[in-house]
Amino acid sequence: MKNCPALSYCFLHMRNCRSTPCCCLLIRRHRNTYPSLNTSTMSLATAQYEFTDEETQLPPIKYEYLDHTADVQLHAWGDSLQEAFEQCAMAMFAYMTDIEYVDLQEAHKIEAQGDDLESLLFHFLDEFLFLFSCEPFLIARKVKIIEFDSENFRIVAKGYGEKFDLSKHPQGTEVKAITYSNLQVHDKEESHEVFVIIDI
Amino acid sequence: MFKRKLLALDHHAPDSVNINDEREIKNLVLWLENQKIRRYKIENRGVLEADGPQWRANFEKYCKDLASPIVDGSMEEKLEWLIGYAVSLEYADDVGKYKAQTAENISKTVLTAPKVESSNPLDNMDFESADFKKGVLTLAQILNITPHPDHLITLQAVSKVVRERLSQEALDNPNNIIVKGKPFPFQEADLGFDMGDYVLNQAAKILRLLYIHDLRDLQTNINETIVAVQSITADPKTDTKLGQVGR
Amino acid sequence: MVVRDYNDELKYLERIDANSWRIKKGFQPNMNVEGVFYVNSALEKLMFDELRNACRPGMVGGFLPGMKQIANVAALPGIVHRSIGLPDVHSGYGFAIGNMAAFDMNDPLSIVSPGGVGFDINCGVRLLRTNLFEKDVQPVKEQLAQSMFDHIPVGVGSKGIIPMTATNLEEALEMGMDWSLREGYIWAEDKEHCEEYGRMLNADPSKVSMRAKKRGLPQLGTLGAGNHYAEIQVVDEIYDKWAASKMGIEDKGQVCVMIHSGSRGFGHQVATDALVQMEKAMKRDNIETNDRQLACARINSQEGQDYLKAMAAAANFAWVNRSSMTFLSRQAFAKQFHMTPDDLDMHVIYDVSHNIAKVEEHVVDGKQKTLLVHRKGSTRAFPPHHPLIPVDYQLTGQPVLIGGTMGTCSYVLTGTEQGMQQTFGSTCHGAGRALSRAKSRRNLEYTDVLNKLQQQGIAIRVASLKLVMEEAPESYKNVTDVVDTCHAAGISKKCIKLRPIAVIKG
Repeated sequence: MKNCPALSYCFLHMRNCRSTPCCCLLIRRHRNTYPSLNTSTMSLATAQYEFTDEETQLPPIKYEYLDHTADVQLHAWGDSLQEAFEQCAMAMFAYMTDIEYVDLQEAHKIEAQGDDLESLLFHFLDEFLFLFSCEPFLIARKVKIIEFDSENFRIVAKGYGEKFDLSKHPQGTEVKAITYSNLQVHDKEESHEVFVIIDI
Repeated sequence: MFKRKLLALDHHAPDSVNINDEREIKNLVLWLENQKIRRYKIENRGVLEADGPQWRANFEKYCKDLASPIVDGSMEEKLEWLIGYAVSLEYADDVGKYKAQTAENISKTVLTAPKVESSNPLDNMDFESADFKKGVLTLAQILNITPHPDHLITLQAVSKVVRERLSQEALDNPNNIIVKGKPFPFQEADLGFDMGDYVLNQAAKILRLLYIHDLRDLQTNINETIVAVQSITADPKTDTKLGQVGR
Repeated sequence: MVVRDYNDELKYLERIDANSWRIKKGFQPNMNVEGVFYVNSALEKLMFDELRNACRPGMVGGFLPGMKQIANVAALPGIVHRSIGLPDVHSGYGFAIGNMAAFDMNDPLSIVSPGGVGFDINCGVRLLRTNLFEKDVQPVKEQLAQSMFDHIPVGVGSKGIIPMTATNLEEALEMGMDWSLREGYIWAEDKEHCEEYGRMLNADPSKVSMRAKKRGLPQLGTLGAGNHYAEIQVVDEIYDKWAASKMGIEDKGQVCVMIHSGSRGFGHQVATDALVQMEKAMKRDNIETNDRQLACARINSQEGQDYLKAMAAAANFAWVNRSSMTFLSRQAFAKQFHMTPDDLDMHVIYDVSHNIAKVEEHVVDGKQKTLLVHRKGSTRAFPPHHPLIPVDYQLTGQPVLIGGTMGTCSYVLTGTEQGMQQTFGSTCHGAGRALSRAKSRRNLEYTDVLNKLQQQGIAIRVASLKLVMEEAPESYKNVTDVVDTCHAAGISKKCIKLRPIAVIKG
């Protein structure tokens, strides 16, 4: 894991600047970090996150972005449906930034409830999108489902990552909303995959 | 009630006699008898005193004594006649004096009052005279204003131009005051509807333009009002810590 | 979806004239009215290719082709006149993007659909003029672009720099641009030159979820990402000199600022919430649609009314948002040129909304009717003398702002009487995507895209490199084709063409 992603990011750009002259046009803003509303609780919160070795393990990438005219289709899979769901959420976060720059510093818990597997997936992703959109502005690199109740369609999950920081994280594309459009959940013996179109 | 007649009789409060108030009626009747009619001898007038017993019966008798034609009428009608009777007695007392008071004579009296010459020359002008009309027309021509058949309307237009375009402010800074309109392609403009008649269409276009002119004035007033309110409420804030504004 | 051979599908399509086609009843089941779409020969090919691709066996796409979507909208309860596809139409969520559909308010079965408005409620374009000319700006173009980029928060995760509290937000949602005026961020004339005067009066913040307010609060006054942008543009061509002069545009080379943004996370959440509610309402009221994505509710149902009030609040959010960025752009210019925004004559020419549903009066078959007009990826374009347009444009018709894509031209059109009759005063909104985002990223190198922009003399500041490829002009339909089609079809009239010299993007 990189110790100072911000530094490496600048370095990357300096190098890019030399190789491609026009890239110097892309003077990225290094804004001052946002003054947090409650800096004291933030540091407290950080202190709380003593992650276990297992928690700091990064999962392999099992997702891809499929062709779609106006929007993006997330395709995620795994050894279980639970893993496919986790991968799908990570795919969404990875679209918002270059996920390599995200450190595991905080963890936040969400709960999602649906009427069927499709709406469960929808609400699961919507909860994570909400976690990114306002306090705590979490950009998660790793998503772990703690409880997966496929009978009552309920999920409890944790997102591991950090507060989104413009001086550290490159900006990717903004996700406006999760859609039900052609939302598919395939849960079979041999394959577990999901397809979700996100509005961007 | 009876204001004009009471006024003619020099009543002390012609405006405020309330005929619904029994006491006032009694006082009025007594006043009429004492001052104007004088049918009874002074010592016998006590029967009409407001506090006297059987006033109503005494009043009926009084009316009968005066040969009032109102026998079954309301109190109001009886009073009406009574006051009128008093007026006729008053007139009869000095026929010579009142006979001269015709409408004609009265208006003559006013005219013979000393006349104050108005210092404002406009008050002494004859707005209908040919001379005046000619003056307005000449003024309009000088100011390049199309005359209206009614010369007074033309005068209004002249006044508007002088007020708006020839004020000191407008002369000092013509650019601020005088709207530099661009010629509007009037003939080509789409009216948006067709009235089926060339002349009517032209008239409708003109009405629309006048309407838009009024609307512009209204919107300008609205904007001025908003700006006035803004001067009290406005306090735009930016938190430059959050970005790098004006670095 | 009815599965038919491509040639069988073509039997339901009939050319009306050089610029429009009719979609006959039967193309999709239960069509209440016919569909119409406007194209020129280049755009026509794109539309028919899309249909042909969809007819291939085994096709499982997320979205139906635009023509099918137009026809499905024509099957919604209460629709009047026609379901109309504008020249930049492309498939979207339920409704096509570039679709206009109007529903009779007095028909108890009529519906309102969040899919007919879009996720980005009151996404729109605002154009500011200046009294500067290209020669004044060219020497400081880079500095000015940087200054704009520093002033306006852009891209994913950016936050507004205008301090907002939860109470401020509630007031802003209710008051729209009147809030910005009260706080002193904008000028009285800005309100005058804004669709709806910058405030929808039926907005009710209490109908908006806490979730939407929480998402909206930090994002107020931010540009966003995706196809949103702020551009410094110069007048490239004037087609209608008189109308242009009414907008304060005197000559070629005059500098303008265009802001394209919407209601941010707030509007997205309002739409998401409404879609969930409407799924339930549809089951309860037995509303049948051809496509599950066309989630809707009867206009006079609780869900329908709640959505209209929440949507109005989101529309107000978007106007406050564009007003905040107007304020910041004026600041950036003022600092660069050491002149006040007033001296720079930085007036709002107009502000249009191209994702919205509004109650309007229109003439249907010779009778005046009150309609709920959905415009998704479609701009209102009212003709001269319409009572709802500002007094300054009573004679020219409403200015219609058509934003191009990164590096391409933008246009100002004016509304026409013919458009009022044919499309209920609606026209195109922009270019419309032609290539998918993933395909753009595979086929284009961002260095190539940037080099090309530089050769065109366009300064660019972007927050995300990925976006450079996704939003490259090659990914979009040609905006000139789109605008020319609207002009030729008579549904709006070309007035001004603008060319970018600096782009600020998310």
